Amino acid sequence: MTSPMSVPGSVGAHGLSRVELSLPADPQMLFLARMAAAAVATRAELSYEQVEDLRLAIDELCVALLDSRSGAGQIALLFQWDAEGTLDVVGTLVPDGDPSPSTNGKAPERTGPPLSYELSQRILDALVDDHGADAIGGVHRAWLRMRRQELSV
Amino acid sequence: MTSDAEFEVTASEQTALPVLRVRGEIDVASAPEFHARLSDLAGRGPEVIMVDLSEVSFIDSTGLGVLVGAVGDMRARGGDLRLVVTQPQIIKLLELTGLDEVFTVMSDASDAVRS
Repeated sequence: MTSPMSVPGSVGAHGLSRVELSLPADPQMLFLARMAAAAVATRAELSYEQVEDLRLAIDELCVALLDSRSGAGQIALLFQWDAEGTLDVVGTLVPDGDPSPSTNGKAPERTGPPLSYELSQRILDALVDDHGADAIGGVHRAWLRMRRQELSV
Repeated sequence: MTSDAEFEVTASEQTALPVLRVRGEIDVASAPEFHARLSDLAGRGPEVIMVDLSEVSFIDSTGLGVLVGAVGDMRARGGDLRLVVTQPQIIKLLELTGLDEVFTVMSDASDAVRS
């Protein structure tokens, strides 16, 4: 996991593609995030195995954001990838109304079961090249980076 | 379409080994129902339960958390929980989380019944 200050910004000036998705912060809607992840991964020319990996990683990223919510809101997902095969995803929990008090950039505390949180961290550690989470000014973010694996011949 | 629409759990107690068959995607939306059905079956006191995940196309940390909690409860009372897993991505997930060392995992439901 990266430090909270190393949220990926841009993956490069050349051939940068970008997709944004906003969905209700509702467990019933996470299938939309997984569908979008699969579509983006395909467009980024990731392997079939990495497409499945990204679906799961995005689900875990969204679960982390859902666990940190204290009311209704939206999850905004920004997918950015370049021609070299680096894909960054930043998820932001956008609350309806005033956000909760600031946690000064520290990783937000999750309210879900500790066991699931530990499993989620293991999954993300294994599937993506980098990931992290923070909360600044009451706005919770989670991000990940995945690089395309070149198929060996 | 929602993931919930594809999610289905059926329990069978017609043999000595109760089976919980799950179909669809187990995620943060469907995990509460999965947990409730598994707890209900375990609460009837069987020594061993088989959870058939061969028709599960997706499972995340919340679904795995339900399974880990259930196997802990079963073993605490001297029982066990066995899994039937055939989907490569779920086998991979069990391996990368180390849970393949925790569960008795089988690739065929008939193997789970025999053992």
